[in-house]
Amino acid sequence: MSDKSELRDGAMMTRRRFLGSAAWTGGAIATGAGSWAIRPAWGAAAGPIKVGIATDLTGAIGYAGNANANIARLAMKEINGKGGILGRPIELYVEDTASNESTAVANVRKLIQRDKVDVVFGGITSSMRNAIKDVIVTRGRTLYVYPQLYEGKECTPYIFCTGPTPAQQCDEFIPWLMKNGGKRFALPSANYVWPHVLNQYARKVIEGNGGEVIFEEYYPLDQVEYSATVNKIMTNKVDVVFNTVIPPGVGPFFKQLYEAGFTKRGGRLACVYYDENTLNINAPHEIEGLASCLDYFRAVTKDEPGSARIQAEYDKQFPGNIVFAAGSAATGMYRGLRLWEAAVKEARSVDREAVAKALDHARIGEGPGGPAEMVPGKRHCKMRMYTAVAKQGTYEIVARSKGLVDPKEC
Amino acid sequence: MPASGGVGRAGTAGAALAARGERWSPSPGTIVAALEGLLLVVFALLPLALQHFWVIFVTRVLILALLALSFDLVWGFAGIMSFGQALFFGAAGYTVALFARDAGVTSVFVVLPAALAVGLVLAFLVASFLLLGRNPPSITFVALGTLTGSYAGDRLARGWYYLGGQNGIPSIPPMTAGPVQLTEGVTYYYLALASLIAAYAACRFLVGSQLGLALAGIRINEARMAFFGYGVQSLKAIVFSVAGAIAGLSGGLYAFHEGFVWPNMLGVILSTQIVLYALFGGVGTLIGAVIGVIAIEIVSFVLADVYPTVWPIILGVLLLVVILFRPSGLISLLVPRRARVGIFGVGARRPGRIPEEAGDGAA
Repeated sequence: MSDKSELRDGAMMTRRRFLGSAAWTGGAIATGAGSWAIRPAWGAAAGPIKVGIATDLTGAIGYAGNANANIARLAMKEINGKGGILGRPIELYVEDTASNESTAVANVRKLIQRDKVDVVFGGITSSMRNAIKDVIVTRGRTLYVYPQLYEGKECTPYIFCTGPTPAQQCDEFIPWLMKNGGKRFALPSANYVWPHVLNQYARKVIEGNGGEVIFEEYYPLDQVEYSATVNKIMTNKVDVVFNTVIPPGVGPFFKQLYEAGFTKRGGRLACVYYDENTLNINAPHEIEGLASCLDYFRAVTKDEPGSARIQAEYDKQFPGNIVFAAGSAATGMYRGLRLWEAAVKEARSVDREAVAKALDHARIGEGPGGPAEMVPGKRHCKMRMYTAVAKQGTYEIVARSKGLVDPKEC
Repeated sequence: MPASGGVGRAGTAGAALAARGERWSPSPGTIVAALEGLLLVVFALLPLALQHFWVIFVTRVLILALLALSFDLVWGFAGIMSFGQALFFGAAGYTVALFARDAGVTSVFVVLPAALAVGLVLAFLVASFLLLGRNPPSITFVALGTLTGSYAGDRLARGWYYLGGQNGIPSIPPMTAGPVQLTEGVTYYYLALASLIAAYAACRFLVGSQLGLALAGIRINEARMAFFGYGVQSLKAIVFSVAGAIAGLSGGLYAFHEGFVWPNMLGVILSTQIVLYALFGGVGTLIGAVIGVIAIEIVSFVLADVYPTVWPIILGVLLLVVILFRPSGLISLLVPRRARVGIFGVGARRPGRIPEEAGDGAA
């Protein structure tokens, strides 16, 4: 089965075609235990290095999970195209975490106990990371790389985080907002862990820079009616709305805010998880001027050749509506895979201890948004950060960090 | 052992019939008992044949079977439509997680009784609100009431930071028995199996007792049973609480096995899933619920492997088809409806003809 269902270079392989061919060769279904493995085009005596990808292919955030699986496949091709790692190709084992934690635990166990992968990448929401981390790290004694922007504070040994933290998203962004918005901030938020912790940090930066938090409020995750909040923002003369309300509420909220004339009177909308995916929730004029701060925007490709290459390669291999964007962990996934590759090369082994030791200070020269390096002893990643503003449905980069921004975690 | 007892009784009944020269056909009780025996033997021997990963997979199935069993007890035998079994499951899970996180208590002798007690007490509270009112509640009222309870529990856990909010409580340490750690694998497998057998035997005893007979009466004609002088609502509350305790036990086992708890464990999705397990397998036989869990978990495992991006849709269609065309579930392929009532009291004879029930199983 392996020689027939392998991915050949240049063959544009959609999932459906992959499954079709796998099914017709009769292997996948007949053996039953055939995981959704994406095998390399060539072999090595020591066998391939097994990489587990656990991400939300189905369910509420399936769009993000599929982007993660796509970019992982792209990185695998790149790595195998250059001769693999230590002379061995890498092989992907993709499991669905289904946006459902109990399904996820069962499926991640397949990676650890059945497929015996050497490392696991994935998880998007913090609740998902919490659900699967024990199965991978403590019980499974395997290395785990978490790629999403998140609230920080994940300091478990053998878990490496390659997405932005609150410090990276606030330290340069909030001073910019003050200069390009004003000093009076409102923090409307969805009531779960990430907004609470992020706001705690944001408040510190706002007040440290002489700003003022007018209100910080938490709403149920599925609230879609925000006229009271909008009213409060308008009557209190708020300059900057630092939003952490998430879909489905965020669309109606921004619309109501626009209709109340918030942006017309010079108010600044800010939302640090906003990327190319979320941009489409509202009509472009409703969020004109919205500012976001992430490790990557498509607009970065104009003057960052490394990013441009990855983006072009992604668009070529995966045309369609699953886009490569920072808010869905896809950038952290690519960065993580390449950092891990560098670590394995240095360690000259896939042993967990050795790789963790090398990954602790791994660095890459090229990735989405530019170079990146792990902060020794912190298991978090330094990276460039970009501030972008929405202009007629696309982002325009308005500020970029001078160098790599420190995650300030652990 | 519930299975052997069933076989013995049904066997003698069959022999007696044969002696009278009647044509002997296996009674529904015999088939159910045979299934029980078969599954018991299979589950007892399974770890000898399976690899580590599969042992863990089946452990999870056993724990969920316990949960489905609790639903079958209330719906299949007492006609109480509980759309909130996850509430007791999740509450017990959270309780033992807090025991482990904040008090450092992981002893099996403390946490499992605690899980059982939480399920029992919470179910009794819900029952006293929903079932013990002045007027007998309608089936819709109970269904929506339990559903609301489950939803409220989910929202409470999401919003309460002591419970970890949306993220739940991760990294629960392994359960212990004195100095021994009951880690996932064969040890935990047999712990789960022993719990399932004990709960199953208790259910089998309960539904075969005089209380079970009264419950069957309530399910078929509640008004008449009340007219006979039975404390209909109290009997329902008792069986609801017992089922809550079983769901709690399941939640306690689940929390330690998976190593984390999170709000969905209390929520509507899991509550619905439990109903599906039981309907898929077939309600009113106890063993049907276990079969339902085994079938759904295996099918979704295989589908998730083979069709990683569309498997939930295929699973949904499959469930729909079975429930449309086999409203009494998979077990109805083997066992006729009248097996639902079973055998009551000590030394009871083979049950005679039971009138067919309306709206059987297809809720």
